[in-house]
Parts: sequence; C-alpha cells; structure tokens
Amino acid sequence: MADRGQSWPTQQDESAIIDLGDVNDRDDGSDYETDMSRGPTDGSGKGSLEEDVRKRLTDNVTQMVWNAGTQQAKRAWSLYGNIDILRPYFNVEPHEVRTRLLQSFLPRMPSSEKQRAYRELYGPLMVVFTLIALLLFQMKAAEHKVEEGTLMGTAFGVCFTYWWGTAALMWFLSYVCNAHITSIQLLSLLGYGLAGHCVVILLGTLIHTSHDHLFFYLLWAVFGGLSTLKMVGVILSRTHGKSQRLILSCTIAAIHLLFLLYLHFAYHQIVEDLSRVLDSDPVVKQPEVVNNVRTVSKGEI
Amino acid sequence: MSGEFGGNDGFYSSSDSYEDEPPLLEELGINFDHITQKTLAVLNPFKAAEHDMMQDTDLAGPLVFCLAFGGSLMLCGKLQFGYIYGIGVVGCMAMYFLLNMMSLTGVSVGCVVSVLGYCLLPMVILSSSAVLLSLKGMIGIVLTVLAVVWCSFSSSKLFVSALSMENQQPLVAYPCGLVYGVFALLTVF
Repeated sequence: MADRGQSWPTQQDESAIIDLGDVNDRDDGSDYETDMSRGPTDGSGKGSLEEDVRKRLTDNVTQMVWNAGTQQAKRAWSLYGNIDILRPYFNVEPHEVRTRLLQSFLPRMPSSEKQRAYRELYGPLMVVFTLIALLLFQMKAAEHKVEEGTLMGTAFGVCFTYWWGTAALMWFLSYVCNAHITSIQLLSLLGYGLAGHCVVILLGTLIHTSHDHLFFYLLWAVFGGLSTLKMVGVILSRTHGKSQRLILSCTIAAIHLLFLLYLHFAYHQIVEDLSRVLDSDPVVKQPEVVNNVRTVSKGEI
Repeated sequence: MSGEFGGNDGFYSSSDSYEDEPPLLEELGINFDHITQKTLAVLNPFKAAEHDMMQDTDLAGPLVFCLAFGGSLMLCGKLQFGYIYGIGVVGCMAMYFLLNMMSLTGVSVGCVVSVLGYCLLPMVILSSSAVLLSLKGMIGIVLTVLAVVWCSFSSSKLFVSALSMENQQPLVAYPCGLVYGVFALLTVF
C-alpha cells in the first residue's frame, strides 16, 4: 500500500490522462480489492506458465483418448458391424430350402449320432416373414384394431421378438448346460420350427369353427407337436447329461407351444367372437320367444 | 465492376451453348422410351429381360404407379397413401438387405426401388378392378392371387437378370410375393 501510495504522484506526473477507475480504486483503502486487482509481480509469470502447461497437457490427453477410442470403435464396427459376415448364411439353393422345410416336420429319434443343425438364415427369415404376413391377414380379416401402433408393427414386434428372444434364451441355457450348438444353428432351428405355426395360423384363418376350439387343438398338437419334437431331437442329440437335456427340451417345447397358443388366442379368437355375434341374433332367441308364447296361451286358456 | 457484368458475353457465353443445353426431361432423368420398355417388360412376364435394362434406375415410373395405386384405392373409398409409403419403404429395405446378402455383385437401393415400383403395375390393375367388383368373392380371390403371382414373377425376373442369379429365381420371387401380398391385403380389405 505504501508503494502504491508513492506511485500515485509518479503516475500523475508521467501522464496527463487520469483514469478515473484507477483513481477510485486507489482511493479505496480496501486491501482485498487492491490485492486482487494486482498480484505479486514476481510470481505471476510462473503461475500462468503452469496453468498453460496444465491446459495443454489436458487437451493433448483428451485428444489422444478420443483418437484411441475412435480407432477402437471403427475396428469393432468393421469386425462386427459389417453385414457381409452374414453372407455365407444366405448362400442356399431352392431345393435345399424346400428339403429343410419338409424336414422341420419330420422328427428323428435322438441317438448317439449328432443330428444335423443347419447354419442358414434365408429359410428361417422367410418363414418369419410369412408368419408376419399371415398374422396381418388374420388381423385384417378379423378387423382387429390396435390402439397404439400399427398392425404391421405389432406383427413384426411379436414375431421377431419371439425368434431372437427365444434364440438368445436357448443360447444362454445351452451355454450353461454345455450343449454343442451355436447361436446361428439355434436361430435356424427356431426359424424353421415356425413353419408349423404358419400352417396352423393359415388353416385356422381359412377354416372357421365357431364355438369350438377342437380343430385348433388338433392342428396345434399335430403340426406344433411335430416341429417341437424335431427341435427337441436335435438339441437332445447335442447335449449330454439327463438334467441338462431335460432343462433344454422342456424350455424349448414350452415356449414353442405356448407361443402358438398365444397367437391363436390373441388374434384368432376375435374372429370367432365376431362371427358368433354376427350369426347369433334371430335363430338363438327363437326358442325363448316360442316358449313365452306357449306360456301366455296356456295362461289364457 | 463493369468487368463483372460485362455485356451479353458474361451471362450467355455464346448463343450456341444455350442451344446445346439438354432438354429438361433429359436433365431430370425422365426417359419415356425406357419407361415404356420397362412397363412392357412387366406386362409380359414371359419375355426375357435385358441384362442392362435396370441399370438405368429411374423413379419416375414407380412414383406414377404408386400414385395410381393410391388413387384407385381412393376411388374404392380407402385413403391409404400413408400405408403404401410405409409398406413400400419397409419392403424395399428388406429386399435391399436380402439381395445384397444373396448376390455376388450387390445391388443399389435405386435399382430395388425401381424394380419393385415398376412391378406394382398389376396391383394397380387389380385395385382398379376393385372399383367395379368385390374382391372378397371367389373371382376376387382368384384375381388377387393372379396379380400377386404376376407381380412377384415379373420382379424376380428383373432382379435375376440384373444380378445374374438365374438359379435362385424362386428364392427371389418368394419375398417379392410377400411384399406384394401385403399390398394385396390393402386392396382387398
């Protein structure tokens, strides 16, 4: 403070321009403001140098981390995100697809020999798309209204969630139970297994049986059962251990058969209800009317 | 200043370059000859398609056919332009993915959209016939099945000729049939 007090008349002498801001500051006897406005002259350069170095170091490290992360992400994307890795699974001939579709309804007794599980995605993908189209057909025929979303969105969501979700669950259980089956083989197996569902949905939509689910349960047992047995046979031939086999076979059978029940009761039941409501009016009520007339006539007599 | 806007030569370098400019339709890529050829290729599915016919991918024809399809459905009392757009986009994306997986050379999005759009013509004919007769009867079901088969056969023929996949035509025809089957659902119900 004493120094500043001495510099004031010196500055006054050197320049004719008076900075009123400095005048006000100088007149204020607060040490806090004057100390903050002007730091110690001998340490200020070093402090700014340290801050500069720290800032540059931070920037360089950030840049290095960003570059390394970007490189890793690009490498991972080129390895796993390249859809060309799926090309071998779409390399099939028409007769192969036809044969595999028919074989999905022909179960084989499990034996010590491993049953063939195909690594193919064209056939299963087409079966899933067919199921979606059949569900759309069923919903359109039933005038099924979806409150949120669209008919197509619902069908896509249901079918792909079942296909991928069940494959993921079975892959996890196969890993735990040490079954010799890969994820692509599971996707292929489950996809071809949906062919039974397509047949049941198609026949159930084309042939309506009112008041009676017997026809549906018959189709469910025959086509659903055959495709389930086929899948169970393949999995049993690739698994060792009784409890492991039991876990895998029961899980896949339950999910596969329950899904068909869900498809029927979620969508097809509406067709039955509508047809029952539209067909039931005069014919059903007539016996009651006749009885009432007879009662009244007897009463009069 | 004057140099920047100097005379007629600044704007029109010469009268010849104005006359040498291509016609508007050519600049827009609308070639009526190609559109006619592709339309005739769709209408006659048994005629062999040229390999390079679909190399010139244009969207003018498909756009006209989609609008015609929506217009004919409108005449039946159904405003479904949004569904046509949505199903078209989903169908084109699915076919693009599938054909890129199955073919050796790969295929562009424009080619897929162009082929699927041109092959919508039989569905336009079906929806126009729906104005006069009901498609829920036996005749309607037969006409619908015929239209779907016609569309899928034409589109698979164009795809396999463009991608050299002759031995896999049934594998290409089936997903096309599914796409056109969904369009048929729009027409019938």
